[in-house]
Amino acid sequence: MSYLNIVEVESAVASLATAFPHTCELIDLPERSFEGRAAHALRIGTAEPGVNDAVVLIGGAHAREWGSCEILVNLAADLLHAHSGGTGLTYGGTSFTSAQVHGILDGLDVVVFPLVNPDGRHYSQTVDPMWRRNRNPAQSGGHPEAVGVDINRNYDHLFDFETAFHPNAPVRVSADPADPDQVYQGPSAFSEPETRNVRWLLDEFPRTRWFVDVHSYTQDMLYVWGDDNNQSVDPTRNFRNPAFDGKRGLKQDLLYAEFVPKTDTDDSAVLAEQFCKALRGVRGKNYTPQPAFDLYPTCGTSDDYAYARHIVDPQKGKILAFTVEWGKSFHPPWAEMEKIVLDVDAGLVQFCLTAGT
Amino acid sequence: MSNEYAILRVRVTAKDADTLRALLRDTRPDVGGRIGQDEDGSLSFDAYVSPEKAQALPREGVTVTTLDYDATATGRARQAEVGQGDQFAPADAVPQGLALKVKDSKGAKDA
Ligand SMILES: [Zn+2]
Repeated sequence: MSYLNIVEVESAVASLATAFPHTCELIDLPERSFEGRAAHALRIGTAEPGVNDAVVLIGGAHAREWGSCEILVNLAADLLHAHSGGTGLTYGGTSFTSAQVHGILDGLDVVVFPLVNPDGRHYSQTVDPMWRRNRNPAQSGGHPEAVGVDINRNYDHLFDFETAFHPNAPVRVSADPADPDQVYQGPSAFSEPETRNVRWLLDEFPRTRWFVDVHSYTQDMLYVWGDDNNQSVDPTRNFRNPAFDGKRGLKQDLLYAEFVPKTDTDDSAVLAEQFCKALRGVRGKNYTPQPAFDLYPTCGTSDDYAYARHIVDPQKGKILAFTVEWGKSFHPPWAEMEKIVLDVDAGLVQFCLTAGT
Repeated sequence: MSNEYAILRVRVTAKDADTLRALLRDTRPDVGGRIGQDEDGSLSFDAYVSPEKAQALPREGVTVTTLDYDATATGRARQAEVGQGDQFAPADAVPQGLALKVKDSKGAKDA
């Protein structure tokens, strides 16, 4: 076993769909990458699509965070094999019974999209190991260092950061394609096929109630918001209110904090804590459940976008949204990555279990 | 990001939030992972930077420790751990998952 190349991620997904036709459906994402690569996801569950609420899990948005794809491919394989074989799952010191596995597949649509950014992963695995973005050269002006957009800054949430944030807020995003921090947001929200595929997936599964984006690193399980501190007191302090433009993103201040109803924070915290508890049971690793905002505010990220959808459009269902930051480096030796896969997959199985009950 | 020279992995520690904010604004290093807070209130993060940039980071209230003098070489070594070809090409080859698939013990069933 080793890290999967991009052909293997795709064929892993396809082979699971072929091997488990009654519990698994191959989903063809509509958009191809700049280099022409197709993307696929799996819907895992025993019910017809749309009968159950959905958990959407995505990975591989940031090219250099290789192990995210292996975490999701192996999670899908674990659930499908255990379901068909009538077994439980054991991840080190954390175990799940066969009834729990059946409960997940019978009660949820588990939608797994392991490789959002195939061009970037290919470039990181074959050329520059530290590459983060996709490989779209449209805004590069012919400069190699200005190729690519940070997929996790390209979602439509506070995209106009120069208006939204305080001038002194160190927002981790850039409008410069050659930004050395590799956080170029792209020319407009959803300019990139990779982000449009994720949006399509959430639209395609309107019963999505939970969303997890798998990243590395720092050993955290993060929940909304990422643009400022959370507060549950003043609903007018929210990302849509222009009265607070220019005030967002500072940590120790009374200017602004982003509104989230207390019930949503509490529910998110429980899910994040359950994830971390099951993960810790595997071999004792401590991940921290906490809101995403720290000193460094973000915008255009998948988790804030996913949660904000129901606020922007009340027709859409509410999605509690999370970001896993696994491990302590982007590409640990595979022998260590295998252990991290077990850690995080135990957390994700528990997450599904908690979500579904 | 240039490949002409080695990229270092450094741990940057700033004595407080204002110092860190100013550093990030001025230097825009390629940050890996999130910012951690130490017990003494200092803040630290990993960055991936050229040797020139690593020399430009230290200042009043900021210390820089090199964790890996050639993160690019480390990354290239990992590239050798990426699969060749397609291990799932054979018709019967399917990912197995890494968890143990175990029959329920009586205790587990009752739990
Ligand atoms: Zn990431």
